[in-house]
Amino acid sequence: MTVTLESLTTRTGLAVLDHLERQVAIPVVDGLQAQGDLIVIPRHIIDSSISLRPDAVWGDVPPHGVELVRGVAGGHSHTLVADPGTCRWTTGVRDSAWLAIGMFEATAPVYLLHPEHGASGCAPGVYVVRRQREREGPRARLVAD
Amino acid sequence: MRREAAAIRREWLGHLLSTRPADRPAAEAAISELYLLIGLDPPRFHWVSSPAAALLTVPPRRRLRATEVLERLDEWPVPARLSRLLGELRGKVDRRMRENLRFRARRLLDTLIQQEISVSLARSFDAVARTQIRAAYLFPPWRFPSWYGMLCVSHMAYYDALRRMTGMAFGPWEERVLDPWTTVNRSCILWWPRTDTCTVSERPVAMHTEVWGDEGEVRLHHADGPAVRYADGWDVHAWHGTSVPSWVIDDPSVERIAREENVEIRRCAIERVGWAEYIDRAGLRLVASAPDPGNPGAELRLYDMRGNTRVLLAVNGSAERDGHRRRYGLTVPGHFSDPIAAAGWTYGLSAEQYSQLVRRT
Repeated sequence: MTVTLESLTTRTGLAVLDHLERQVAIPVVDGLQAQGDLIVIPRHIIDSSISLRPDAVWGDVPPHGVELVRGVAGGHSHTLVADPGTCRWTTGVRDSAWLAIGMFEATAPVYLLHPEHGASGCAPGVYVVRRQREREGPRARLVAD
Repeated sequence: MRREAAAIRREWLGHLLSTRPADRPAAEAAISELYLLIGLDPPRFHWVSSPAAALLTVPPRRRLRATEVLERLDEWPVPARLSRLLGELRGKVDRRMRENLRFRARRLLDTLIQQEISVSLARSFDAVARTQIRAAYLFPPWRFPSWYGMLCVSHMAYYDALRRMTGMAFGPWEERVLDPWTTVNRSCILWWPRTDTCTVSERPVAMHTEVWGDEGEVRLHHADGPAVRYADGWDVHAWHGTSVPSWVIDDPSVERIAREENVEIRRCAIERVGWAEYIDRAGLRLVASAPDPGNPGAELRLYDMRGNTRVLLAVNGSAERDGHRRRYGLTVPGHFSDPIAAAGWTYGLSAEQYSQLVRRT
């Protein structure tokens, strides 16, 4: 079945802004994808920077999805959505860049959904989700869109 | 249960954000009652028009002792005793909860009320009230007087939620403390209790906030004027929660931005102007540009800024309601000369890794 924004929002009950194209099939890819201030990176690309913490707990992604980052000022979140039993997720990740918020393992296509940015489809595989930073004076700050 | 908690939180947030005039008779009666509870006579009241006025004016017919200035609030005896009173109340209620509720129910409820109500309201209080106090008094952050924590609406909201969500009854002593303290929270926000006079600030006449947190937390923000304004004209400007000088909102000119030393304030001012507009007006030098991988038709443009900083002007992967794509700036370390490498850095990636980006939305 072709997955569209329409079918994803029906399935999860999550809303997207109404000017987004709802009927177009969401491309499912196995490479790097950015969604606003988040990026989904196939684990093998940054394998040397990433390790699982020994106490990492994996959880199944429930039908209504997992909120990866809650957006600020207006509350737009990035939500990971998967068919039951096809995706597990953990936040127990060490990242030498300090940007990873977690890792997920999918055995079927899964989707990252955002009210403003629409959806990104990820092919089966293991992915790391990182946030975006910018430079502020001598420090870095996390970007929030 | 969650819905009920959210409703209670909204109600208390309403007290915190209220711009109605303070209910002076109610506040005075309740504060007097609190003085009685710690064994003191009711104070005389000195109402001031704003938190800044509390600093600048002293109660009439009264000379302050050196320890009675607002800067030494933590050494005053009355706040310390009132804080102890609040601590005793907490101890008694905790004991009552242990006696009345089973362990599991207690834990569930406590987690729910803490998360949805207490922590959320405490954060909103920090972002709204503390920001004003800081704007008025310039404390070093490590010396923020603990009394202000007692004024936070989260304490009484917690007891209110316990009562409403469990039907738990409090004892007569607890009610005697809860009642006036709740009334004070509903009638005014900031007050400074000295031994025989109590200074109380009026509420603001205008307040602009935005929701930013998971649990309905708010912070000060207003793009077209002060975020908080009092009747006497004292005001606080804020950009997405950061307290800023008024020029950042009213007149964020390129010259002023260039003169500003504080990076956070500079960023707020540039965001107020808009990155693309700012780069244009400031005439920043284009270092290099490159097609944005995964974002067909869009370009990454790297500009030179002051200091050891460059700015990457990028284009949103998805369109706005009117069909145009928003441009936004990201500041990056000054050693980058390749826009792809700079974009990669923002996600902790190399240029080679970032150039593999397949799709941006």
